[in-house]
Amino acid sequence: MERPVKRLSNHSECRRASCPIQNYVSTDPLRHEVPVAPLGRASVETPTRAQALLRTIEPYLYLLPALLLVGGLLLYSVGHTLAISFTDWDLITPPRFVGLKNYVDAIRDPTFTRSFTNTLAWTAGSLLLPVGGGLLLAVVLERIPGQRVLKTLIYLPAILSTTVVAAIWSYVYTNNGVLNETLRWVGLDAMARPWLVFAPTNTLAMIVASSWRALGPSMVLFLVGLQTIPPELIEAAKIDGAGERILFWRIKLPLLRPITAIVVIMSVIGSFMTFDLVWVMTQGGPGRSSETLAVTMYRQAFIMWRMGYAGAVAVILSTIVIAFSIFYLRATLKRSAL
Amino acid sequence: MIERWSIRRRALERYLVLALLCLFTIAWVTPLAIVALSSMKTPIEQSQSGILALPENAAMILDNIASASELAGIGNGLLSSLLYAFVGSATAVIAASSAAYSIAMLKIRFPFFWFLIIYSGTIFPFQMYLMPLFGLYQSVGLYDTRFGMLLFYSAIAVPFCIFVFRNYFIGLQGEVIEAASLDGASSFQTYLHIVLPMAKTAALFLFVTQFSWIWNDFLFGQILAKSDDVRPVMTSLATLSGTYGKGTIPQQMAGALTASIPTLILFFALQKHFMQGLILNTAGE
Repeated sequence: MERPVKRLSNHSECRRASCPIQNYVSTDPLRHEVPVAPLGRASVETPTRAQALLRTIEPYLYLLPALLLVGGLLLYSVGHTLAISFTDWDLITPPRFVGLKNYVDAIRDPTFTRSFTNTLAWTAGSLLLPVGGGLLLAVVLERIPGQRVLKTLIYLPAILSTTVVAAIWSYVYTNNGVLNETLRWVGLDAMARPWLVFAPTNTLAMIVASSWRALGPSMVLFLVGLQTIPPELIEAAKIDGAGERILFWRIKLPLLRPITAIVVIMSVIGSFMTFDLVWVMTQGGPGRSSETLAVTMYRQAFIMWRMGYAGAVAVILSTIVIAFSIFYLRATLKRSAL
Repeated sequence: MIERWSIRRRALERYLVLALLCLFTIAWVTPLAIVALSSMKTPIEQSQSGILALPENAAMILDNIASASELAGIGNGLLSSLLYAFVGSATAVIAASSAAYSIAMLKIRFPFFWFLIIYSGTIFPFQMYLMPLFGLYQSVGLYDTRFGMLLFYSAIAVPFCIFVFRNYFIGLQGEVIEAASLDGASSFQTYLHIVLPMAKTAALFLFVTQFSWIWNDFLFGQILAKSDDVRPVMTSLATLSGTYGKGTIPQQMAGALTASIPTLILFFALQKHFMQGLILNTAGE
């Protein structure tokens, strides 16, 4: 096939003001249904109706695979879950409409409340450790030689799957695991304990494990944000006698606000969806003490086969996540300049 | 005199910070070293020797991988995951680039509406997908099949890809495409020979990020598959580890290490794409 790029020169010959094709281009360049394009191999005759129809729908054909995949699997599921949440369904007998009963049940259920509280702990933890810690590290790392090596090493756990992180930290936290052995080695025998057995220690321990993976990305984002601060600004402030502390609170932090907003919202959304790590490490136990909302949903659906209740939990979870996502989308879509 | 003292103090402070940072980083990556070390020990050796003690026989890692594979199907999982990650992300990149081409460059009605429909796939928590997918896959016979897994992984990767491609295409010079289409190139030829080559960088880094997402997925492997042949590697690994895992520590660590190698290689080979992907993912630039 001849490469179309090569033919460009052909077309440029007719870049005269009087050229009818060019006039057409400037108003409506890509419409195919009008009989245009006498150049090349396209026909000059008026297209038949069938051809015209084909040309109108052709652009939509490119949309089709993506639409089918996303619509058929993802969006269909969202609608269906919403519908399930208003029914009583165990997958065997047909679903029965029960109105808002599942939602009322969930809100009254003490395990749901505990799961909700645990999820809030995850949110608080992920704001403190990965976001706060990431910011601190970024500010310190910014002026350090050899920044790149340290940055890469700290980022490394983020490459791993949450499942791998869960496997590693399960070993860290077991009775004769890394943490307890280390504590005994330094003589803090009294501190050694089964970390994943008692609440709320188990949730806190898992938050630390999760932060090991999440800190790198937020640090890198803050570093990117710091690079966008004009150095003259920092210099000017220094000349005015601003110390490191004032520099951070009065200049860097306010200028980092857009990126901070994105990192914070992302962490909040991520914390509400926490599932893999908890499921692999404790399955939400013991005694459902470390469940998060996502784990509760999974347990209700695939262990207890209470699809309706699970649907209600999923919808409650989604409402919270979508509320935060709207902030996030507003920030990102605005930045991507529609 | 005072000035020199303060300069010296500042230099000292700097070294102190650097030293602390290095210590922190070493502690940070210690768990990775522990994984490597324990995956080379026998279970008895692991429980008796110190955590950071060197293994007696490093070749033990092969035994551990083999027995982990037998116990949980890590080997099969690796092959399946390779298939899902490779074909799934490639399919998503193709489907999303062609859809974004239509939305950004061809004449369709309500382009932004179509974009939002497809992009909305990123907004929902995965918990919204689980039950209907499970039910659907059971009823149409896709449950526990490689094709079913591929179909799902392709679908889940499309929304983010379309976001990036659309941004990218909107920023492209329209003239080249106009000219080509007027020159008689069909819209498909334009897509294949002009638009796709121009979007190579975006396509590559999307492929990398989606590849590692699919590779790292645990949840959907858990929901949509059950046999060792079909389950992706992370779902297999999960049966070994954690409080309810059935593997010994060396087996778990050998499994974790093996399952991470492909993404680690990808990371070190294409580090820039990873970081770029992260920034794009969040900042949407």
